Amino acid sequence: MTLPRFFWSEYRKRRKRAALITFALFWGTLSILLLMAFGQGMTTQFQVSFSGLGQTLIMVYGGQTSLPFEGLPKGRPISLYPEDVDYLKDRVPEILRIAPESYNFLQVSANGKEINRTVHGTTAEFGLMRTQVPRMGGRFLNAADVAQGRKVAFIGWKVAADLFGSADPVGKPIVINRIPFTVIGVLQKKIQDSMYNGPDAEQVYLPFHAYQQIDNRRRINQIHIQPREASQSKIVEARVRTLLGRKYRFVPDDRYATSFWNTIEDAKQGQAIFKGIEIFLGLIGALTLLIGAVGVTNLMYAVAKERTKEIGVKLAIGARRRVIIQQFFLETVFVFAKGTFWGFITAFNVVHIIRLAPINYDSFGIEAYLLRPEFSLQIFVAYTAILGVLCFLSGIFPALRASRANPIESLRYE
Amino acid sequence: MIELQDITKVYRTGSQSLEALRGISVKIGKGEFISIMGPSGSGKSTLMNIIGCLDTPTAGEYVLDSDKVAGLTFDQLAAVRNRKIGFVFQNFNLLPYATAWENIELPMLFDGKNGRRRRERVTELLNAVGLYEWRGHRPSELSGGQQQRIALARALANDPPILLADEPTGNLDSKSGEEIMAILTDLWREGRTIVMVTHNDHIAAHSERTIRLFDGQVVA
Repeated sequence: MTLPRFFWSEYRKRRKRAALITFALFWGTLSILLLMAFGQGMTTQFQVSFSGLGQTLIMVYGGQTSLPFEGLPKGRPISLYPEDVDYLKDRVPEILRIAPESYNFLQVSANGKEINRTVHGTTAEFGLMRTQVPRMGGRFLNAADVAQGRKVAFIGWKVAADLFGSADPVGKPIVINRIPFTVIGVLQKKIQDSMYNGPDAEQVYLPFHAYQQIDNRRRINQIHIQPREASQSKIVEARVRTLLGRKYRFVPDDRYATSFWNTIEDAKQGQAIFKGIEIFLGLIGALTLLIGAVGVTNLMYAVAKERTKEIGVKLAIGARRRVIIQQFFLETVFVFAKGTFWGFITAFNVVHIIRLAPINYDSFGIEAYLLRPEFSLQIFVAYTAILGVLCFLSGIFPALRASRANPIESLRYE
Repeated sequence: MIELQDITKVYRTGSQSLEALRGISVKIGKGEFISIMGPSGSGKSTLMNIIGCLDTPTAGEYVLDSDKVAGLTFDQLAAVRNRKIGFVFQNFNLLPYATAWENIELPMLFDGKNGRRRRERVTELLNAVGLYEWRGHRPSELSGGQQQRIALARALANDPPILLADEPTGNLDSKSGEEIMAILTDLWREGRTIVMVTHNDHIAAHSERTIRLFDGQVVA
């Protein structure tokens, strides 16, 4: 027998008393882990949903000047044109990708069915920036499609379902404004919470030059820009504003001459909000666990009192303070370990089971915020730290009190 | 070996103070068998506690084996109790949740002795007190005499030179009491120093010398 084994044999004889406390710890652990997992899941889901629109994306739109400039009056409309894409790319080295986009609400028909959808003209780079991942067996527009003005189309999964049902549309003809195109790819289902003109599931994308044959407006609706680094988004935005101001003659600071949708800045704000929610949920969980820890402290104080005489005997036969502290501490750790172990296992399984629930992509994947809790290293580190502190605090005070006992008074205690 | 010089012990409770020992000087040589007698409240137990390093005197000097006890820390006192002194109490003071074996083993665990040495010593002691068959039983399953024999075995676990017995037969029938006294006498003959508190002249007759206390002072 060793000292820890002796401690264990003494503990075993009273473990029933710890049952309720064990449950409190179990419940606390379950709460803290589940709340943190849901918080983390929401944060991740926000990132996933946001990247459904695009990753590190800045969108530039035309507008109307609100300030006079070099003798020109305010109120002039500012439009963007296809050549602006190369103009900006050549002058702003921080730009990684850039693509023009024009769109119009047009008639789309195939298979004897006719619907009206927003049809877009753009380039291959658009696909990479806007997370246009094709379903197996298809592809997004490529550089050759754009350069040669090929009559091909990439369609959203809802468009595919509306026109072709469950059949694979790839390779099949589709007529847009009475001009035939061939479907080359269908967008894979994705979660998307930010959008203009509706979700990507309902859109049709054509090579830019092919689109211009349907819609002969010269000006484009917007330009998509991806900086090399997300951290450069502010610089890129400022440079683009200045360059366009020089070209179209407006004050660069004029907020209404052009407008920007800087998703990088939006994402930062969104992440901060979700991080806040995550921490808040974690705190609630920690408070629940704290109740369990207070229970343990209470139990250990009671045990210390109850064992006064035994402590006296141990001191009389030569136990050092350290031994008494060790015993109380180990018992605390053990009570904690037992409760938290089951809480841990349960939380892990609950999260696993919830994650099996399907997500409806047609409602923008809103359920995903609640149905995709997840664990991360960060959660385990935070949990272990909180647990460690609570366990130490609830063990140390009863242990110290027990160890400070006066041997004679303890021996007399009945 | 045990040398008490002008020992005073004062207990203070609030504004009241009680002088339990008043300038006691006692010398106990190595291998002596001493009885301490006296009426209730005469300071017998207090004296025993001080000799046993469970308590420290308010004033005076206690030298044990040429070491001054006054300067020792709590843990150093624990080590002295562990290695040099074996305690036998009137009400046995065995740990209720531990078996006979575990109770005897515990002082050696506190001393950090290795497993084989502990096993050998516990076996030896259980055989010596004739309770080897009862090694797996808890105190509540043993008779008073058996419990006191286990307590004696525990007191001897680390082979201490001094045994302190506080009314060792007080809670026993006369036959069990005689058995315990026989063991104590044997231990004394083997060369151990034995200090025993008792009310009973018959029991005190086993010892070589009796120190009588009255009102915190040695009277004879």
